[in-house]
Amino acid sequence: MIAGLAYGLLAAGLVLALWTGIQGGRHRPTTEAQMVGAIVVEAGLLVQAVLALVRLSSAHLSEPVTFVAYTVGVLLPLPLGFQLARIERTQWGSAALCFTAVVVAVMNLRLLALWRG
Amino acid sequence: MQPAAGSEPHVDAAPAGQDPAGLSPAGQDPAAVPVTAEPVGDEDQLPTGPRRILVAFYAIFALAATARAVVQLSTAFDQAPLAYLLSLFSGIVYLGATLGLVTERRWSRPLAWASCGTELVGVLVIGVASLVDHEAFPRDTVWSRFGSGYGYFPVLLPLLGLLWLRYSRPGAPRD
Repeated sequence: MIAGLAYGLLAAGLVLALWTGIQGGRHRPTTEAQMVGAIVVEAGLLVQAVLALVRLSSAHLSEPVTFVAYTVGVLLPLPLGFQLARIERTQWGSAALCFTAVVVAVMNLRLLALWRG
Repeated sequence: MQPAAGSEPHVDAAPAGQDPAGLSPAGQDPAAVPVTAEPVGDEDQLPTGPRRILVAFYAIFALAATARAVVQLSTAFDQAPLAYLLSLFSGIVYLGATLGLVTERRWSRPLAWASCGTELVGVLVIGVASLVDHEAFPRDTVWSRFGSGYGYFPVLLPLLGLLWLRYSRPGAPRD
């Protein structure tokens, strides 16, 4: 895993959460740009997962199973939020994407802590 | 040119419970017009939004609690079997609530009621127990200290779920 990428994805998750959170606060559904943003963050998470799993053998982790679970698990929230935002064209869809983006940021924080051991 | 909404005669009477005044007609994205899958016509139709955000909450917590329990049970079952089995139990309860909220079958609402109720009792009992008797809970569960490890979400979530179930029950009076 690369710390720089993880921090970048953490920040991206927070930005997406803030962006969609404001959109939801204004009683509006997600915009196309926000949906594209979610896809970009998800692509970054996929790259990170591949890099992390490739480098797993050379790392000294105190909790390898937990680390793998988080690496794979962090891929799941955004597709859920994306789908909900797609079918729910109201402020609730924006709120759903906002929530899942916060979860991604928190899980990335946990990933960084696990990688350091 | 009628984009997308040609089948609906009264698009202005937005069925979803949001304020149409908030959207300026000029900058209105055609995709932003709330088109629901449900048949239009019933004026006091339930908004689908609250249920969907609850699905997001519950699905994430089902994932978090179940994954946590599986990892804990497989790697360190001997350290705190009670706490880890409780994690697994909470994960199953969250899965039940998610299923009850997503589906629309005869058993959906009873399942959601039972899951949210169990969850509320669980988080309160385990929350108090983990504060009173530290020895019994050497390792944290999702419900320890009212879910403080998860931003107290576990204690709020069943309340939101039960409120929604009460609000959306058949024949309930609505504003």
